[in-house]
Amino acid sequence: MKKLPVTPKEMEAIHPYIPEAFSKLEQGKISRREFLRLATLLGMHAGLATVIAACSSGGSNSSNNGNTVSNDNTSGQTTETTAPTTTSRIKRGGTWTCSMQLQLLDHPARLSWVEGANIVRQVCEYLTETGSDNITRPLLLDRWAASDDLLTWDLFLKRGIKFNNGDEFQADDVLFTFGEWLNEDIGSSMLGLLSYLDGTQSVEKIDDYQVRLHLNSPQVAVPENLFHYPAVILHRNFEGDIVRQPVGTGPFLLQEYAEAERAVFVRREDYWQNGEDGSPLPYLNQLIFVSTDKDAGVAALQSGQVDSLYDPRPGDWQALKDNPNLAVRSVGTAQSLILRMRVDLEPWNDNRVRTALKMCQDRARILQLAYFGEGDLSIDAHVAPIQPEYAEKPIPPYNPDGARALLEEYAAEKGISLPLRVTLATKNDQNEPEIAQTLKQLAEPAGFDITLDITEPNGYWARWTEVDLGITSWTHRPVAVMLLPLAYTREAIGNWNETRWVDDEFEAKLRQAQGTLDIEARRAIMSDIEDIMQERGPIGNSFWKSVWNITHRRFQNVQAHPTAYYLMADVWEDA
Amino acid sequence: MAAATSSPRTEQLSRLQRWGKTVRIIFESRVATVGLMMVLFWFLLGFISLVWTPYRPNFSDFEQNLRPNSTNWLGTDHLGRDILSRLMAGTQVILLKTRLPGDFPILGGKAIPGGVALWGVFGSLTLGSVLGLNAGYRSGWWDQIIMQLLDALIAFPQIVLYLVVIAALGQGDLVVILAITVTGAPGVARLVRSLTLDIKTRDYIRAAETRGESVWFIMFREILPNIRGPLLVDSMLRVGYAIFAIGTLGFLGIGLPPPDPDWGNMVNDARRNIFFNQWAVIPPSLAIATLVIGLNLFADGLREEINRYQK
Repeated sequence: MKKLPVTPKEMEAIHPYIPEAFSKLEQGKISRREFLRLATLLGMHAGLATVIAACSSGGSNSSNNGNTVSNDNTSGQTTETTAPTTTSRIKRGGTWTCSMQLQLLDHPARLSWVEGANIVRQVCEYLTETGSDNITRPLLLDRWAASDDLLTWDLFLKRGIKFNNGDEFQADDVLFTFGEWLNEDIGSSMLGLLSYLDGTQSVEKIDDYQVRLHLNSPQVAVPENLFHYPAVILHRNFEGDIVRQPVGTGPFLLQEYAEAERAVFVRREDYWQNGEDGSPLPYLNQLIFVSTDKDAGVAALQSGQVDSLYDPRPGDWQALKDNPNLAVRSVGTAQSLILRMRVDLEPWNDNRVRTALKMCQDRARILQLAYFGEGDLSIDAHVAPIQPEYAEKPIPPYNPDGARALLEEYAAEKGISLPLRVTLATKNDQNEPEIAQTLKQLAEPAGFDITLDITEPNGYWARWTEVDLGITSWTHRPVAVMLLPLAYTREAIGNWNETRWVDDEFEAKLRQAQGTLDIEARRAIMSDIEDIMQERGPIGNSFWKSVWNITHRRFQNVQAHPTAYYLMADVWEDA
Repeated sequence: MAAATSSPRTEQLSRLQRWGKTVRIIFESRVATVGLMMVLFWFLLGFISLVWTPYRPNFSDFEQNLRPNSTNWLGTDHLGRDILSRLMAGTQVILLKTRLPGDFPILGGKAIPGGVALWGVFGSLTLGSVLGLNAGYRSGWWDQIIMQLLDALIAFPQIVLYLVVIAALGQGDLVVILAITVTGAPGVARLVRSLTLDIKTRDYIRAAETRGESVWFIMFREILPNIRGPLLVDSMLRVGYAIFAIGTLGFLGIGLPPPDPDWGNMVNDARRNIFFNQWAVIPPSLAIATLVIGLNLFADGLREEINRYQK
């Protein structure tokens, strides 16, 4: 072990639990990534936590950026970790062009799509940032500190950061932005996410550089919530339209935005972060987003008319992965296509039927057919291996005989004959139709006769909480305790609890997990939660998707982000 | 008197002779013959697929996106299904059978003979003929109201009408039939009306009116049989349009529900993977094209021969 830059006492001064976490790292009980997450969560500076983790002799070295880059000549099979850049190589200037749909933009708090957030995040910034490694670090915050009971969170702001209109970033801006999120008239999805705050009176300004949050229930995922995509910090005088008033602390200035056409950004000269060469970021002079559909985007990328394609589909990845001019970076995510059942409706109110359908998933086959094998197999719980509290469980096998036995028992009791006719609804957006068709085939021997009801995306989103049986896409959340309350609790009925599943033991465990800082303890609780979901839960989940960032090779420092975010401040062009 | 007591045998022969004459008309036109052969080829393939396909059309039995090879003559699709088997089975939905929804009275969940395209054209012919006959024969307000309504329908782009019907009623074979019926009926009604306006001035119509026949009798027993030639040709063309419509809806992902093969869906699925498997898009596209071209050639040839005989 190398010499530590801080003593255990100094660690304890930041938070009493940090020395214990470090001791677990030393013993190899937690990985370096988990230590980093925990230490930063408890208020330690990210840089310091990284140094301490590096000094440790224990823990697996999983604290790289989590990205792998496919070799252009090997069909994406061999991978290499992104090489660190050296200061001497970095070049400034250049233009990066990306194919991405450009939607109507107005109030950032109302953002509903990541595409819009990818525009806004070039101009505005978040208090925290969850990186490609799925670790959340302070961004506009200098640090945060949570009370032991996780009911009080102090947010300490960085000093000296200026908006692009020259005003200094201060607590008033944070208070104003929280006010926008918590204002029902604005209609921000942050309102639901911050349900542990009782309105703006829960947000207290201590001084110009410190804000205190008073929570009504313990919450461990506050830093992660502050990087939810609509959570950009707005200027205190923001009037509601980011295109007309593109004021923020971010690295670029919005020069032009035409919905469904293009967006142009130019470099900001006085950005607060410095690059590795000591001068202010960003390295690039200009960003251009061109609004095209995906197929046109693939063709444009192949012909060199654009340098990157937003959120490539598996087919796009397959088409582009062997292109020698392109670097394909992949990253595991907590994004999934969930097979969900309405437990308040027949036959899904019977756990035997739910279990039978779950047993019909040949997960490896579904992953291969729907996603070319590019993902991680999953258990039937909404907790992903990339999330820190995930407790590893064996992947359930494909078991049509077991499923048939359960269905026969159910049918005999109900006095009906097999096959059991059910309708599976979903949308033809990502690869849901492939999953649906494969599942229909796999479930036939078990006694299910599945009729497919596949509509265009808007048609499904208009009824996604209402259909009996459906496949719904869920996006990435850095921690499981951030997602589970949204979809599987009594409070969420009427909002995002599409299955109507409520389980007292599950909810009690979830509340316990939300208030548990110790990652090992939280993982033990999550193990029980996963068991409950597998035994009697309302969902089947075959795999977790990988996502790709496909960008021209001449651009460096590019990372694939689990939520397809474009973080462009330190990307540079090796022209 | 002798003519009135001709034997049934003589009548049967004359019917056979008439049928033979019709067949001769078709085969006298090279264009119609080629068209008929193309159409019959697909019918034949469809009938064969009812009892046999090389592999199970809906099952992922092979590796994904294979090019044509000795096992899979037309390759496999993105789910590892044999394209030839799916192409053959796809003929059924268009030409040979219509699947009824599970909650359909009595026949729920079963299939009835006649493909979606044929039933759709039959529906538009029936509805269009009723409306066109009434507008043309009754004239006056009937004509005004019916034609104004039909003009309003024709003013809509067909694809919009399809979308409206499917958005309102959901997916399924019957819904597609209804969509084809609604969009095709105005065109048929216009044709029938114009033919009726001509026919109703003939002496035998006057004679029927003088006999005191009802309006419905005159329309359906006197006029309709005498306009069947142009209607038959028009319906051939309409089957082609219907196949295109089914293909378009499938391509847009709002046509016949998967996994049963539908050529439009096959094109759409293949299009999504076209950058790395260009082959898969060709067989279903060619199938649609050849069937529609065949029907058009058949209709054109038939029209030419009928005109020649009438002259």
